[in-house]
Parts: sequence; structure tokens; C-alpha cells
Amino acid sequence: MAARSPRGSLSGASDIASDFEDSLKDLQRNDRFAIENLTNIARESTEHAQAISRVLENHIKATAPTRKLPALYVLDSIVKNVGTPYTVYLGRGLYSTFMESYGSNNDPTTRRAMDNLLKTWKEPVPGSMDHRPVFPPDVVRPIESALIRWKTGMLQKQNQPQLQPQGGYRSTATPPQYNGQYAVPPVPVQQNAYNAFGSQQTPQQLAGHAVYHTPTPMQQHYAAPPTSVLHAPIDVQVVKADISSLISRLQTQFAAAPYDTQVQTKLSQILDLQRAVDAKPPFGDSLRQVRDIVAALAAGLPPLPAPTPQPHAPVQWQAPTPTPQWQPPASFPLPYQPQTAASYMQPPPAQSQPLPILTPGALSSLQALLANGQKPSTPQMRTAVPALSSASHTQLNNVQNNVAAAPTANTADLLAALAKSGMFPIMSAPNATPSVPFSASVAAPPASSTASLLQSLQSILPPASQNGTPTMIPAQLVASKPRIPFSAAALKQFRPELVRSLYDEQPNQCSNCGRRFLANDEGRAKKARHLDWHFRTNQRMADPNTGRGQHRSWFVDEMEWIRLTEFDPSTTTADAAIAATTAKKQKGPQDQYVRAPAGVTRNTCSICQEEMRSSYSEELQDWVFMNAAMYNGKIAHATCVEEIKKSSLQSASGAMAAALSGAYAGGRRQRSETPDSALGKRKAEGALAGAGARIKMG
Amino acid sequence: MALPGLSLPGLGLQPASTPAQGNSFAPPIEQVTRTENLPARSEWRFETSFGSPYNLRLLGGHAELFGVELATNQPYDLSGVQGAIFTWQGCQLEITGEAESEYAAEETEYATEWLNLHGMLETLRSERPSDGPRMLVVGSDNTGKSSLIRSVAAWGVKAGRTPTVVNLDPRQGLLAPPSSLSAVTLGSQMEVETGFGIAPTSGPTSMPVKTPLIYHYPYASPTDRPDVYKALATRLALSTTSKLEEDVTAKQSGLMVDTPGSLGLTDGKGNISEILHHLISEFSINVIVSLGPERLTNSLSKRYSTAKGHEEAIPVLRIAKPGGVAERGEPHMKQLRSRQIKQYFFGSANESLNPHSHSIPFDNVVIYGAKPLASATETSSYGAAEEEEDDYDPYTDNPTTTASGSGTSNAFFEKVTPSVAMTASLIAIKFCPANSDESTIRDSAVMGFLYVADVDEGRKKVRFLAPHPQGWGNRALVWGGWPEAVVDLVT
Ligand SMILES: [Zn+2]
Ligand SMILES: [Zn+2]
Repeated sequence: MAARSPRGSLSGASDIASDFEDSLKDLQRNDRFAIENLTNIARESTEHAQAISRVLENHIKATAPTRKLPALYVLDSIVKNVGTPYTVYLGRGLYSTFMESYGSNNDPTTRRAMDNLLKTWKEPVPGSMDHRPVFPPDVVRPIESALIRWKTGMLQKQNQPQLQPQGGYRSTATPPQYNGQYAVPPVPVQQNAYNAFGSQQTPQQLAGHAVYHTPTPMQQHYAAPPTSVLHAPIDVQVVKADISSLISRLQTQFAAAPYDTQVQTKLSQILDLQRAVDAKPPFGDSLRQVRDIVAALAAGLPPLPAPTPQPHAPVQWQAPTPTPQWQPPASFPLPYQPQTAASYMQPPPAQSQPLPILTPGALSSLQALLANGQKPSTPQMRTAVPALSSASHTQLNNVQNNVAAAPTANTADLLAALAKSGMFPIMSAPNATPSVPFSASVAAPPASSTASLLQSLQSILPPASQNGTPTMIPAQLVASKPRIPFSAAALKQFRPELVRSLYDEQPNQCSNCGRRFLANDEGRAKKARHLDWHFRTNQRMADPNTGRGQHRSWFVDEMEWIRLTEFDPSTTTADAAIAATTAKKQKGPQDQYVRAPAGVTRNTCSICQEEMRSSYSEELQDWVFMNAAMYNGKIAHATCVEEIKKSSLQSASGAMAAALSGAYAGGRRQRSETPDSALGKRKAEGALAGAGARIKMG
Repeated sequence: MALPGLSLPGLGLQPASTPAQGNSFAPPIEQVTRTENLPARSEWRFETSFGSPYNLRLLGGHAELFGVELATNQPYDLSGVQGAIFTWQGCQLEITGEAESEYAAEETEYATEWLNLHGMLETLRSERPSDGPRMLVVGSDNTGKSSLIRSVAAWGVKAGRTPTVVNLDPRQGLLAPPSSLSAVTLGSQMEVETGFGIAPTSGPTSMPVKTPLIYHYPYASPTDRPDVYKALATRLALSTTSKLEEDVTAKQSGLMVDTPGSLGLTDGKGNISEILHHLISEFSINVIVSLGPERLTNSLSKRYSTAKGHEEAIPVLRIAKPGGVAERGEPHMKQLRSRQIKQYFFGSANESLNPHSHSIPFDNVVIYGAKPLASATETSSYGAAEEEEDDYDPYTDNPTTTASGSGTSNAFFEKVTPSVAMTASLIAIKFCPANSDESTIRDSAVMGFLYVADVDEGRKKVRFLAPHPQGWGNRALVWGGWPEAVVDLVT
């Protein structure tokens, strides 16, 4: 009876997952085409990612040892080519998935292959703009550690008489220090799609026996434990002192050469960094990153130039605030000055000095230009960013090429792309791309990209709230919400508290779209997800492959619209979204029931004519027919009723028309009579009839 | 059947290189960029034409356009817009491009009233969480009804609500082309440039999409076919109500119903249109906001704001219309419609879309022509209300037409053969099968719109531009006289 819903109901999910499972079971060896095919299924069914991931994990564990490696390659191909949400789902169980496979294999070649596989998961996807590793370190590291322990154990065992031929791993429990530490944060980690095969495959390989090759990005030796573990602890105070001294050095430089963008950029970066560190002292890897960046910035400082003070205007330096700075001119009338809104009354940089070469404004206009998706023309770029007006065509072309590949959800990436073009040699550090935290609220140490910045945020911030409701929870913004009676008398008076509730009480703003977030942890987590969403969508929109075939979707029909729960994908975790869809779907026909009329224990479904039996529901304290609904006055399987509604093109229009003809015919002047609900579930009274739903005056 | 190059020989037109109005952010060099400093609670009013670019950028402070806040330093393309950038706190704007008119204004009492209306709706939401405000906004044309709804919807969203907006004016689409009556629940932020945002597409979008439910009323005014209009309003009310019953958050957030200006007119004695009564009843309206003249407000108050019999009172509030609202001429409205149609097929500058060409023999399509108001119904269209003697009923429809599948004399549709007369007009695809009965076709929701690119009467083939590469199966197609043909869709 399970109808295959086109929009991915539960039955749809299980269908796709079982298709996937069937193909997976056929995978006996390292067959590139089969692996590609499975990857494509996964790619096209991301809405069923959870089910598919589970099928894949179970298969890897259950299948014969010789088939485990090919199956792991499927996993590898999916996480590298599709990325989120698979990285999230598969990351969670990766430890046991991987260790089971490793432990059940005796073949040294296979194990080496698995070692290599694991190695690539610590790296970014080759060729990807995304600098993050395939799986986050906290997923991979426990596996590495366990392997090292296990290998050490095996070595020791080899020196002893062999008692057990294999399975040593099984006796090695999860290293206790990692227990529970490798849960992946629920925030989606988007991997940029890349061609795992094309770039590395020689023609012979393609023509001949196709084998899935794990991309091996770096020649890096891996047997050693993760380097981070070996590092001596870093004192956060030392780092802070380094930052302070660097700031004073840069300020001196800035005063001497206020138009030196390099200094300016560095200064604003280090100030951002200082704010971030002060707001939330980093630890562990984050702290190390901070220290490295500080070191890189310090090392890159040119010798102090001879001071060349401006003849007329001594430059007074003022620390930039993260919010856009602007001060109305002196003559500017300001009748309304909210106490809390001091942030926009900063000295205007544009008025005290000429337009600096790379102001945030110039950057964002360049960003906007690039966000268009089309390659901007060089004149356009020159107009958008005055600083580029003197650049050569070749340089501009470089910029175009570098930024067009991944425009530019954020300033950091844009700067990186510019730096890559040789336009602005901003940072001399080998891997430290300049990163400009979005605002003071993003209290995190800079990392190699915004993406990893966001990721490191996740480790600092408390995990996102896990409730399954994707609808926006009405933000109880203000404790002292004004009560405004619905009356003409209440209309005229200006209420600054209403303005505050829309602005000041949600100070945390997205610089891309202007959306605001609360200043609490939830707001920050939402904003982080939101920025990540911008980043991902902009990346996808910039991808030339997505641009081509885009078209408008058909509108939805009534039933689908009625059942659709609106939620904001930009602030909802993949988990919550899926949970919500699932919850929504579980309200499907099989959960409907009809209370059994007294004495009736059996019934024949009026549609399929099969027998139905009543059962006792503890919850309802009554005898009911489960999976049942009234159909033309008789009890039928709810799933049968659903089927009928779906199979005819009229979808619900039959039932609705019936409901409506009553409502319409009877409802001409007076309020409509309560029609039978079109959904068969709910009476429309109180809704359509609006009984008692009136609002009192004043 | 997708046509990659999308050449439309039948029209002899070149494919659009940039879709829709599609001007880019970077203005030509010669255009003057200037800055405006606005004091708190003032606004920048502007009216811009469709052809020439007009870009705004917020340099400092805070500002919003109909409740939707501008991000700092982002350029907004506001060509072909009549609107006002409002600031509560003061702001500095950078303006590039030419406007038909633009000026700063400080008479903005209306904004205070609108914000207070938002505060009132918030109060109602908090005090009656199980039964949110269902507001109807009425007033004649050019009084700012849609802007008011946009603003309170945007503020509601900003306050964490998910309000549902219903548009009952077929002259302007909401997330759909004109001739649509639509409803949408706003689950995510609204947009500065497009207002409500964008309907779903096959690919990524710069802002989260909004999913509307669409019905088709291919006439300019409710009075053109009051029977059809009322039936569709009932249908839309039923769907909307059902949705709110499914979703407590949406129900608490409430409903905002936008009405066409013609329903804000009263007769010589101050009587209200019967259709308006119908809407108030069908949507179980519990808050009425009038942007119209005193007379309309008085009539509404008289009728609704005191309890009558089994009906409870509905408060009626008269709200100031914004000072900046000018009469929008028919040429402007026509261009607006044309732009909405273009955007439906081609998307916007940010999200460019590819429509697809489908060439189909006459024999394989069933098209229903929506008939104009039949003379039979016209004769009986004025009459007294059943309930109250003093109620004015200029639009009472012939009772027999409301019964489904009634006699042929009052038919809504007739089957038509494709003809050149259809060229460049819109056709609605209904969710129902082609052979459904009349009232089913009338009441079915819209799956999509087709643009008649070319009718070859000699070869008996019609070529449609469709938003989607897939066919639409054997579904009923409806062609109406509204909106007018858009010949420059692909220029
Ligand atoms: Zn945003
Ligand atoms: Zn059955």
C-alpha cells in the first residue's frame, strides 16, 4: 500500500534507500562505475541522506570482509563528492564503521588502502575551494588514535607467541579518552563537489578496468600521531600579549602610513582577532591557530618605514568597531536617539580620509558584483572598487578567475581570492588566509577560511538546540512587551520600544541580507548556520553546472501546501529539518484511527475489501481501528483513502469540493456552516466558521 | 523538448540576454552617485522607471523598505519601484541612477501608525496564542494596502512569527504572475527588492524560497465575474484555514488579507460591496483595517464593530495612508505586470531561470477559454441583501451560478481551439484532469503558467513557453482575457 510519493514521504525514503541497498549489495569489487552510480543516487536523494547513510553503514558492517573496502570507497566517494549532509550522518558512526572494517580484515594490502583512505579524510577535497578537511578532525582523530594503539598492540603481540590469529582490535575498546568526543556537531558541513576521477584518471584507466581511486592529495606521512597532540601547551596569556604588542607596532606603522592598505588590513585583522580572543578565549587547536596567525602577521611586518606625517591633518587613529561606522554630519537632526543605539554614531572614515583602497564598502560592492553569478567585466570591477582602477587588465582577469570560482559569501574568501591573484599580498604566512570575522559577535579565532572559522565556532559554542520544530520559534524578544490595545486611540503615539524590539534587541546582524539575530547563544548559533547557508548557496549558485538548467518549479497543490511546514532553511540544522519532515510525515494515514462503534470488532475496508480488526488503544482507552478513516460514511483503511486521493489527479479536490459545496451554498451571507473537513481529520469549526474567534475592542 | 537557445521564430524576437529587467549592480560611469542623510523617522520617497537603473545603498544607520531592513553596504536595485526607504534611527543612503521623482520627507505619521498596528497584532498573538489575528485590509486603489501588508508581515517575521499573506487582487501577483489569487505562509525573512521573495526553483537561491498556493482568476476586477471570484475566495479560505489548523505557529501568527481597490468603494449611500462581506465571512476575519475614506470606515464599523446576533464584533481601524503614495498610472501597472510575468519564466538578475519550449499539436491540448461576464448574470447583479435592508449589494451574483456544474447559460468556460488570438498571453495549468467538470476546473489550484509563444494555425501546432522542462500531463488549461498579452517577453 505504500505509495511512492514523489516528494519523498517515508515510503519514498525507504524505497530509495532500498534501491541504494540493492545496488550496494551487488558491489563485489572496486568498480568505479558502480561506485559512481551509487554516489549519484546519494547525490540525487539528499533528502533521504539519513536513511541512505544508515543503509551504507549497516552494509559495511555486515558484508563480507573482501567487500568492505569497496563499500568504504562508496562512503568516501559520497562524502567527497556530495558532502553534506552525508558528512554529518556518516561522520557520527565513522569510528565504528571504519574500525569494524579495519579489524575484520587481515589482508595487509586492504589495510594499507584503508590507512590511505583515512589519511585523505584529514585533508580538504583536492581541487575544492573548501579548505576544510573531508571529515572534521574530531571525527578522524579518534580513529587515528585507536589505530595507533591497535598497531602498537599488534606489534607487541607479534613478539609474543600468537594466541589469536586476528581480531585484536575487537579487544581494544574505544580509547576511553575519546569516548563521546567524536560526535559531529549537527551543523552541515558543505563539501565542494569535485571530480574525484577525471582529474586523476589516465585514459587507459578509464578505458580499461575501472577502479575507484581514492584521491591522495598530499604526500604526507601519517603513521605519527596527530601533530597537535605533541605540541606543548600554549599559554593564552602569552598569545594575548603577543597580540597587544603586535597591535601597538601596527598602530605606529598605521600612523606613519595611513594609506598603506597592507598595514590597514593587518591592523583590522589583528583587532578583530583581539576582540575575538577577549570575548571567548580560545583553547586547543583554535589557540594554536591564533598563535600561528599572530606569528605570521608579526613576521610579515616590513621594517618600520621612516615616518612621513601628513602636513595638514594629523591622523588620529581610532579602533574600528565591527558595526559599520557612520556619524551623521554635525548639522544632522536626530530627534530620536535610542539609548542603546550608539553603534551607528561613529566617526565616518569616509569623511576624515580619502577612500582607503579596500574598505569594507568596496569589498562588499565587489562581492555584490561577483555574487551576481556572472563574471563581471573589468570596467564593472573598476567602478565597484576604486582601488582596482589602476590595476592592469591581466591583474583584473586574475581576480575574475580566482573569485569567479567561488564568489564570495564573505570578505575573507574574497580577500583570499584577491591575494591569490597577486593583487594584494596581504599575508605572508603560508596557510593563513586573512580572515575577517563578520562582526564582534562572531567570537572565534580566525582560521584558514570562513568555513573553518564557522566550524571552529561550533566547537566553542554550545550545540544548536535540538528540538525538532523547524518553524521559527516565536522569539520572545522582549520581556516587557508593550500591550497595545486594538483601538484608534492607541495608533498615534510613537513607541520606541517597538523599534527597539525590531532592531536593538536583535543586535546581531547578517551583513549579506540584513537579517537580525538575538545576542544570546541561540542567536549566535543561528547566525552561524545562516552564514554557512549563505556561503553554501553562493557557492552553489556560482557553480557553472548549477546555473545552466535552472528553472521555476511547478506550484504545489492544495494538500501539499496545507501540509507544508514553513521553516527557514538558512537557520535550521539539517537534523532539525529532517526530524521535522519525518515528524510531519509520521502523521500520515497509518497513524489515523477511527474509534470502533460499540460492539464492532471487525470491519471490511470499503475500498480494498480487506478485513480490518479493532484493537485496544492504551493511549485512547478505547477500541479503535488503526490506519482507518471514514470514507463515504464507512470505515476504510486510511492508507486506501490516501491512495484514492492521490491516484486521481483531483488529489483532494473531491473531498474539498464536497466540503466546499456545503460551505459555499450555505455560506452566502451568513458565516459558513461548518463543512466536513477537507482533510478528514479535523473539523473546520472554529476555523472556517470562526466560532467565537472574535477579538474584543480595546 | 527543451529549446536550449530559446529562439522564438514565431515572434521574430531574439532571446533575452539578461532575463527580466536584469540590470547589473554596477551603474554606467556617467551616472551621478550622491548621498542623502535622513534624520530619524523620515523617509526617502522615490518613483523609478523600469528601464533605467536605480541603486540604493545604506552607508550608515538603519533603514527599511516596507518593513524589510536593508543590509549595510549592499547595493539594491530598485528600478521600476514606487516606494520609500524609511529610517527609524536616521541613516545615510547612497543613491545612483535616475528617478522620475525622489525626495526626502518627514511627514511620516503613517509609519508610526503602521508600526503600532504591528504592535497590536503582536499583542493579539500573545494574548490569543491559539487563535491569531485574521486581518483584512481594505481601501481604494493607491492607498498603500499592499505596502501596509508587506510592512506588518515583514515586522512579524522579524519578530519571529510566520504570518500568512493572502492576495486577492488579480491585478498584482504575489510570488506569481497577475491573474493569480494566492496565499503564502512566510517562514523566513522577506526581501528588499522583491518584497515577498521568490517562489521555489530547481536550484539554489540567494534567499530562502517561499511556497505559495495559487488560484486563477483571469479577470481584472472581482466584479467581472463575481461568482467565480467568490468561489475562488471560498476555496482559498478553506485551504488557508486548513493550513493554519495544521500549524499552530502559523495560526498564532495570523492571516493578512489584501483586497483589490474596487472592493473599497461604497455606493452613493455608503454601502459596502457584497463581495467584501463574503471575504470577511469566508476568512473568518477578526480585525479589519481600512485605508479608505471615512465613509468606508464608518460603513464597516456600522456593520461589524458591534455584535449582531450570533456574530461577535469585529474591530475596524482606520489607518493613515502613506504620504508618498501617488497614483500609479496604467502604463506603470502594465509594465509591472509584464515584469511579473517575465520574472515567472526568467527569474531575476540574481536567480536567472530557463523556461522551456513545448510544441504541441492542436489535437493534444484541451484549452478552456474563461468567459467574460455573461449578459445573463449582468441583468440581475443589483439587489438587496437578504439579511439587512440597508445593505448594498451591487455585485450579487445570480444564485444559480454558484451551484456547481450548473446550466450552460452561465458557464464559466468553453472549450476553445488554439488561435493566433492567444499569442503572447498566459494560460494556467490546473491541477485537475482536462475532462473535469466546470466547477472543478474553476476551483482547482494552479500548477503553473504557460506563455503562448506561437500558434501556427496552418500546421495546427501551438508552442508554449513553460517554466518547467517536464510536461504537465493531461491537465486542464485555462486561457483568460487577463492579463493582457505581453509581446516583449523575450526581448
Ligand atoms: Zn543573511
Ligand atoms: Zn483498504
